[in-house]
Amino acid sequence: MSESAIPSAPATRLRLSPAWMVLCLALCLILARPYLPEGLMRPAEGLILPLADWINALFTWLRDDLGLIHVTRAFADGIEWLLDVTANILYGKNRWPRIGPLPWIVVALSAGCLGYWLGGLRLALLAGGTFVWIALMGQWKWAMETLSVIVVAAPFSVLLGLVVGVATWRWRPLEAVMNPLLNIAQSLPHFAYMIPVVVFIGVGPKAGAIVTIIFSVPPMIRMTLLGLRKVPPEVIESGKMCGSTAWQLMTRVRIPTARTEILVGVNQVIMQCLAMVVLASFIGMPGLGQKLLQLLQALKIGRSIEIGITIVLLAVALDRCSKAWVALQPVHHEPGLGWVARHRVLSLWAVLMALGFALSAVVPFFAEVGRGQSLSVADPLDAMMSWVIVALDPVTQWLRWFLITWVLIPVRDALLWLPYTAVLALVAAAGLAVGGWRSALICVGFIGYIAITGWWDRAMITIYTVLVAVAVATSFGFPLGIWAARHEARAKRVLLLCDSLQTFPSFIYLIPVIMLFGVNDVAVVGAVVLFAAVPLIRYTIEGLRGVPETVIEAADMSGATRRQSLWHVRLPLALPTIMVGINQSLMFSLFMVIIAAFIGTQDLGQEMQRALSSTDVGKGLVLGFAVAFIGLAADHLIKKMAEGRRRALGL
Amino acid sequence: MPVSEPVISCRNVWKLFGPSPEAYLRGLEGDPGFEAIRQAGYISAVRDVSLDIARGEMLVIMGLSGSGKSTLVRCLSRLIEITGGTVSVEGQDIGALSEAQLIELRRNKMGMVFQSFGLLPHRTVLENVAFPLEMRGQDRATRRKRALEVIDLVGLGGREDYFPRELSGGQQQRVGIARSLAIEPDIWFLDEPFSALDPLIRREMQDEFLRLQGMLGKTIVFITHDFDEALRLADRIAIMKDGAVEQCDTPDQIVLNPATDYVRKFTEEIEKARVVHASGLARPINGVMPEGLPVAGKSTIRALARQLIDDPREILPVADEAGRVTGVLSRKEALDVLLGGQA
Amino acid sequence: MTRRLRLIGGAAVLAMAATGALADSEDPIVIPIHNWSSQIVMSHVVGQIFESMGNNVEYVSTDSQSVYESVRLGDVALELEVWEGAFGASFRAALEKGGLHDAGDHNAVTREDWWYPMWTKEACPGLPDWQALNDCAAAFATPETGDAGRFLGGPVDWLKHDQERVDGLGMNFKVVNAGSAAALWAEIGAAEKTKKPIVLFNWTPNFAEAVWPGEFVEFPEWVDGCDKDPAVGPNPDKTYDCGNPANGYLKKAAWDGMKDKWPDAYEVLTQISFTNPQIAEMAKLVDIDEMEPEEAAAHWLEENGDVWKVWIN
Repeated sequence: MSESAIPSAPATRLRLSPAWMVLCLALCLILARPYLPEGLMRPAEGLILPLADWINALFTWLRDDLGLIHVTRAFADGIEWLLDVTANILYGKNRWPRIGPLPWIVVALSAGCLGYWLGGLRLALLAGGTFVWIALMGQWKWAMETLSVIVVAAPFSVLLGLVVGVATWRWRPLEAVMNPLLNIAQSLPHFAYMIPVVVFIGVGPKAGAIVTIIFSVPPMIRMTLLGLRKVPPEVIESGKMCGSTAWQLMTRVRIPTARTEILVGVNQVIMQCLAMVVLASFIGMPGLGQKLLQLLQALKIGRSIEIGITIVLLAVALDRCSKAWVALQPVHHEPGLGWVARHRVLSLWAVLMALGFALSAVVPFFAEVGRGQSLSVADPLDAMMSWVIVALDPVTQWLRWFLITWVLIPVRDALLWLPYTAVLALVAAAGLAVGGWRSALICVGFIGYIAITGWWDRAMITIYTVLVAVAVATSFGFPLGIWAARHEARAKRVLLLCDSLQTFPSFIYLIPVIMLFGVNDVAVVGAVVLFAAVPLIRYTIEGLRGVPETVIEAADMSGATRRQSLWHVRLPLALPTIMVGINQSLMFSLFMVIIAAFIGTQDLGQEMQRALSSTDVGKGLVLGFAVAFIGLAADHLIKKMAEGRRRALGL
Repeated sequence: MPVSEPVISCRNVWKLFGPSPEAYLRGLEGDPGFEAIRQAGYISAVRDVSLDIARGEMLVIMGLSGSGKSTLVRCLSRLIEITGGTVSVEGQDIGALSEAQLIELRRNKMGMVFQSFGLLPHRTVLENVAFPLEMRGQDRATRRKRALEVIDLVGLGGREDYFPRELSGGQQQRVGIARSLAIEPDIWFLDEPFSALDPLIRREMQDEFLRLQGMLGKTIVFITHDFDEALRLADRIAIMKDGAVEQCDTPDQIVLNPATDYVRKFTEEIEKARVVHASGLARPINGVMPEGLPVAGKSTIRALARQLIDDPREILPVADEAGRVTGVLSRKEALDVLLGGQA
Repeated sequence: MTRRLRLIGGAAVLAMAATGALADSEDPIVIPIHNWSSQIVMSHVVGQIFESMGNNVEYVSTDSQSVYESVRLGDVALELEVWEGAFGASFRAALEKGGLHDAGDHNAVTREDWWYPMWTKEACPGLPDWQALNDCAAAFATPETGDAGRFLGGPVDWLKHDQERVDGLGMNFKVVNAGSAAALWAEIGAAEKTKKPIVLFNWTPNFAEAVWPGEFVEFPEWVDGCDKDPAVGPNPDKTYDCGNPANGYLKKAAWDGMKDKWPDAYEVLTQISFTNPQIAEMAKLVDIDEMEPEEAAAHWLEENGDVWKVWIN
């Protein structure tokens, strides 16, 4: 990291810059390793703070002495009441208002109408088709269990994000606190959220809903802030000149004008909800996630993939619909049109509803697809999977041997061999090189935290897994991105593939990689690589395609070959964007490494999993922060680098 | 222009940006100038401005971008708080108004048009125009009736259900104008209303604006960076530079007697005969009453060109709109203006 | 839910009412389910029995270790499979904190130990003897364990002392810990495709024995104190030089408040007792016969009326 960072420091200066000096210090520490006292190798006992105990004491105090548990439980009961209502409507849980379940055909038609209203026929087919697929594949109940939670959690999250966002925007001091808080919240691994929720709320759908709300709020807050800041000053002034009070100004001018950003926030909330609601099956959230988990436990790969496809379809449909909503612009109606003509989709929906209910009353198949009536593609998928495992066996065996012997174990041992002081010095040097003393302090603070938690070795193993995974991902993702960026259509196809891979529930990959590589670090890296590659490919494509046409034309007219144009013009200009990709790739990898603990690792993720099963809040949060801080340190360094590049390019 | 009790009056108005502008301003004695203030770490957006705007008058504030003209108009409407001085509207110091009183003032007395229109994108034309009425709490039917009136007035009848993005720039600005007129304000602020429009539309909108003003006769503060536009519309022009008013006078006087070099530079390229009116060039009747038909005071010298060349009289009487002779015009002076001699 | 069950349920409710017993609360009895089939089906079996008595029942999926904390707090009412080896520690910890209690044993034994699927015997014919296993350690070697054989252990937090046993018995094996039960099954599933020899952690009753026939490795028999006193067992210097106990308990646990809130259901819970074959059968219905857990439970209840009806009377 530091090597690549150095050249961005002014090369003309001959005297030793602080970055070089600190780098030299790091090298000295490494060279002198055999003679170093123990205290410089690993943090001394006295340095390690019992943070977990403190947090636990704090939580116990909050929960029992302060009685916060009554508040959270009361809140949870409120949420549960709402969940019961949606559960009744969607899948007929025996609760008030006792009118459900809706026949699947009605839900599918409604989704289709919504899709049509938002984005025309294609979106109608996607949205309606998704629900038809779910019904026909016999996954209706699980999908509705999942949706019944999203339907409650997403609006809650949007509302909460909106309120907090407005408050943060209104009170400047709050913003100073909110920004770092959001940064940490968005880099905390999913599991870190679950443990406190289990402690305060318990398990089951309400806990799933609440953890989903908490997890999906940060992007909403961010987008609300962004939207409010982007409202043109003239619009606000015009509002003021019209005599608006502060409240009128907020509700009728600022928020409606920030509509686009707020809806982008809604889109992100929905996607985050879907991701979390699947993972929340670990704390008893029923639905698709739980079914998937059960099927994976029983090695039913084919049926797991079916559920995976459902989740991808739902994700894509929800994503496209909410994005279409962002883009949806109001259109005027010609005067003199009747109600039906002005509300075409609504009327269509009403008619289809009546038809749907009638149909489902006559033909039970359209109300509920019974067992034995549902389709399945599991058998061919399973057969294919078996075939792949057997056919690839020689390759995977060799790969496993090669990677473990020549790559993984050496890298891991090297990282563990490094004195922690040398690592800190390296981080400081990198910080100095890209952003001066402030950056160095920030990064050393982040990594130093890990040293004082006492999880140094495990953190190094996490870092090693992430580094290897990102390196492997780069080795094929980068060329793939360059290849795909060459043609518009090809780029689109590859981006779609990226979208699907990314929305595929992460733990579905765990079982196939174990079957291919066995329980070892190759499987872990294999699972992580898939996630690491997606943002790399995406941003390489977007970066390259974003290079202004005129610059490329200028290069062509200067007689550059395609290769020269790529290396000397397009890649340098795309570099800042590609760095964003590398940054995201690291973040995704960190999240995935934690989930990959289910394969079997010796890193922070494994400890996190233990903390989850023993509901140890303190440990969970300490570990969560460790993961978040690794991510934030990397994020800081890469962003500073990209910023420097961007400034140099005058973008 | 008859000067009665001024509608807007500002006295030594300052607007400074910087770490603690009030304290800095208190320490100032007189105006040290833009540069000196900048050396001290402050930006003087408005520097010691005093202006009076009479009822029914159209004052155009003219200046290049960054000259402080937009800031000044926002001080007049208290969209921004001033650092020093007072702004009075109809004799009342608006700096002393409470939030509620200020809102009341804006709801009843002021209208404003913005350069980039400032329309609410999620509302139809009708809803945009009715917005200030809605803020006042009027009921839907009254709002609708009044809004439709103003929409017709600006020539957008039939488009009331359109959304802003469905309209052209000129049409959008008509909506902005209609909205600012909805509450029948006495004072009308226009902040570069036509700058974002292309030249042909701009000309058309200026005509439209003059037509409206002819009908409504509001007190107007009009901001522009376009000197031609200023000359075309103004009763008086205030030329601003670095936050201060360089000169505030009638177009004729600005063209004929620029107060500073900066103003002179603006006027150099102008064909003065197109701007200067007979009344502007006229002198008081000095005992002798010239004979013959008077020329109309509101005619430009350019319009009188033929007569000036053909007329044998050395001195011509000038009459106002009522036909009353108000002064005398020296033919030679007028010819100098016409032919581009010394002004 | 079959109609017959409802009838029986109605009768049961009537009978209760006649004897004047306090009726059960209408709140749902929350039953936790975990990530293995026998437990899920058993939970549904018990749940359906409760429903037949007129109770409301709900199922939540929870982690099998943290569930004791939930039972303790009354978030869930009971736990039907408390394995001595796997969950004894969590159960005892929660017991000490208070809030839950032992609701009796099933008539079943549990065993957890090193295990191999049958095809492994081809590569190592001396099995199940542990010394024979040690002799063919090379057949179990993997890149990450070098020359030593690999033993695939369960997640570290199951605390199985496999490494101590390897040391105690001087075996040429290295322990690699999987991160989850699913990882164990995935390894067996993959090994099955190529008939690779594999030795790993497993337990009974369990669906795996129905899918992949196999045997436990026979270590020196467990003697009390083997885990604490080095003198016990073949190696005089080390602890854990023996196999795991071959007959661990399988318990039920109940929330303390259950007795008062749902007295009838609680009474039935204390009566419930399943045997090893019954538990294996439940797992098989889901894992082999591909039934949904609810269906499997209904099916089991239908087939085994004589077993469970005595509990509710």
